Amino acid sequence: MIKVNNLNFGYSKHQPLFKNMSFQLSAGHIYGLLGKNGAGKSSLLKNLAGLVYAKSGTLDVFGFDPSSRQPAMLEQICFIPEEFYLPAIKIDAYLKANAPFYKNFNHDYFTDLMKEFDIPVSQKLTNMSYGQKKKVIIAFGLATQAKLIIMDEPTNGLDIPSKTQFRKIMASALTDDRCIVISTHQVRDLDNLIDTVIILDENNIALQASIEEITEKLTFKKVKEMDPSIIYAEPSLSGFHAVMPNYHQEDSKLDMELLFNAILTEKTKFKPYFN
Amino acid sequence: MSNIFNLNRFGLLLKRQWLDFGKVYLLTLVILVAVIFSFYCYFIPSPIGDNFDYDGNLDMRFRYGLFIFLGFLFISITSSSYFSILGQKPRAIQELMLPASTFEKFAGALFYTAFLAVISYLLIFYIIDLGFVKYVNSHLSEFKMESAKHSHLNGVESISKQVTSDKNYLTYLSSYFPIPFLVISIFLLGSVYFNRFHYIKTAISVAIFSAITFYMIYKASILFIGDKVMRNVMVQKDEILLWIFLVSAAITLSLWLITYIRLKEKEV
Repeated sequence: MIKVNNLNFGYSKHQPLFKNMSFQLSAGHIYGLLGKNGAGKSSLLKNLAGLVYAKSGTLDVFGFDPSSRQPAMLEQICFIPEEFYLPAIKIDAYLKANAPFYKNFNHDYFTDLMKEFDIPVSQKLTNMSYGQKKKVIIAFGLATQAKLIIMDEPTNGLDIPSKTQFRKIMASALTDDRCIVISTHQVRDLDNLIDTVIILDENNIALQASIEEITEKLTFKKVKEMDPSIIYAEPSLSGFHAVMPNYHQEDSKLDMELLFNAILTEKTKFKPYFN
Repeated sequence: MSNIFNLNRFGLLLKRQWLDFGKVYLLTLVILVAVIFSFYCYFIPSPIGDNFDYDGNLDMRFRYGLFIFLGFLFISITSSSYFSILGQKPRAIQELMLPASTFEKFAGALFYTAFLAVISYLLIFYIIDLGFVKYVNSHLSEFKMESAKHSHLNGVESISKQVTSDKNYLTYLSSYFPIPFLVISIFLLGSVYFNRFHYIKTAISVAIFSAITFYMIYKASILFIGDKVMRNVMVQKDEILLWIFLVSAAITLSLWLITYIRLKEKEV
């Protein structure tokens, strides 16, 4: 669905953000894009949406070059930025003005999502809190039935019940022909939601692997003492949270935060497992 | 459905832009009406005092300056604010991600700035001017005849009538026709090019650019002609007017093209 080849991008010539980055994203998956501050998460999303232009390399988003910003492509992309703008009008007026641009827009689905988020459709957008506005923009984006959903820090500003609602809605929004990419630095918000992890570090992708592949190759355990098989560990109250090779095909729950820190700290040690 | 221009999508875009642009635009029109009205009320000839021009007609000359100055302000502000939202990241993302082509977005800008703004300004000025002209003409008998040079006091004509009934005026009008569009194209480009303080930055850029151009022309003329008097070069007035038309139209079209390219290449 999305193919990126040798992407080179940066805001200045001397400080490239991505160097020869290549990867593919397929439909039917929810990708979690993780990275330190300044690693380029938002910039990568913007490259996919055609909001910034690559210095070199090719991007193919379901057959389109995103930089061409063709309407046929734009109506298949739902981009929910971290900072967004909503005009000072009522929700139904907003719908009337914007929904017709998306030929597959599902009004019933939008109404259902608004009910789920507990937001009255007659409410004026200016009278809403940041979290409520975010819910409106998420509901609108999902109702467009776009094939590619890009979300930059979608859980920022959402309270705890809303984050649960968000996870539930996103899980149900995934279809076979849809690809969802969520970038966040709050890795726990994506627990049980994403099926593939992409970690950005040092101008490239440090890891792209499905949860299944990760837990098949690695195991996440609490151990009392360090042993040589441990690739990475973090001290805890009762010992250590450790990542080690899954030699015995043990079932373990992926600790996203631990994996993230492990990959950034011991990138070379993990490389042989994910080639 | 065409990815370059689709009439249905363009209609939707105009409707959508009106939601955002319309309120501010209507408010600007209200202010415009108030300003024109106030100027007319203040400067309109009254039976008390000297109200006649050099030809002995009722003095309505203030309206030419008012028409040009206010017109310049109105169209430059309207066009300078149109793409100013692209300077704000969240709004720019929303605008650029809207499923309409860059050409449609650009054509929408032309519709609001070069068509609607110009038409509404002309219409508002025409109506107010006509109203005051009718008012003055209905009170002609109250003006003291001794102040006038003629025994018979002529009625006042509306600007539109003056322009359309005089061949000289019409010639000038057709030659200077692209000038307002040139102003629009400059400020529209400024609204895409700059992220903040669009109006001031555009005005300063135009001033610097004009100063450099005039200086270069001056230096070039000194270099090539020196202090010789060009006796044999007779330039006809019509030729100058034609050049004014052609040059301003060419610059306008070029600036619109640059604006379109700039919009296409806009990054957030």
